[in-house]
Amino acid sequence: MKILAVCGFGVGSSMILKLTIQKALREFGVDAEVINTDISDSAGHNADAVFSSPDFIGDLEKRFKNKEIKLYPIKRYSDLEEVKEKVQDLIDSKK
Amino acid sequence: MAQNIPQSHMQIIENASNYEEAIQIASKPLLENDYITKDYIQAMIDSVEEHGPYIVLADDFALPHARPSEAVKKTGLSLLTVKDGVDLKGNTVKLFVVLAAKDSTSHNEALQSLAEFLMDKQNIQDVIACDRVQDIKKILDERWN
Repeated sequence: MKILAVCGFGVGSSMILKLTIQKALREFGVDAEVINTDISDSAGHNADAVFSSPDFIGDLEKRFKNKEIKLYPIKRYSDLEEVKEKVQDLIDSKK
Repeated sequence: MAQNIPQSHMQIIENASNYEEAIQIASKPLLENDYITKDYIQAMIDSVEEHGPYIVLADDFALPHARPSEAVKKTGLSLLTVKDGVDLKGNTVKLFVVLAAKDSTSHNEALQSLAEFLMDKQNIQDVIACDRVQDIKKILDERWN
């Protein structure tokens, strides 16, 4: 499984989001690759899911419109509970 | 760079008239010590206007930053607490950590520590409660590793 953590620049917030996602994955005991990237590079990656700010989801929908991918809006990038909820949904969808 | 934020990069203020002013004040130690130029401060503010408030990574906490560019001379972090809080596009922020990244990797270690620190919400509240920068430094030294 591959997950993208996306923000405007791919260096700060998306890095924090990636670490929160990794922590959630560890707590679920699931192995997955997590990559942080900026929004303009995001569509160049093949992934199962994209985690990003609600402000970016509309833009991401357009960029990924021909791809089978799940988009998860995250309001607080370091909120482990919020991220865990979305990671759980993703894991369930893969079962 | 050092894992932690130097005490000389920390400030506590009572209030700020808006988030732009808070980011400017928070960035001052980085500006005065030649980590960044004024352009970087403007870029951080423009980013909020362009991309929205996602730099608010946790309740009460924001990580202002912009793309690595010529406007960053050295990678570094600075910290500001605003006791009364300031509105950032509908979110109240009391703790700002400014990230100046010279490239996309040099700050990763510091961000990893920061991410771990932020996942415990109590840490954020404890920093906000401090009245002296020495006390903030002490919390970071103890819990940010």
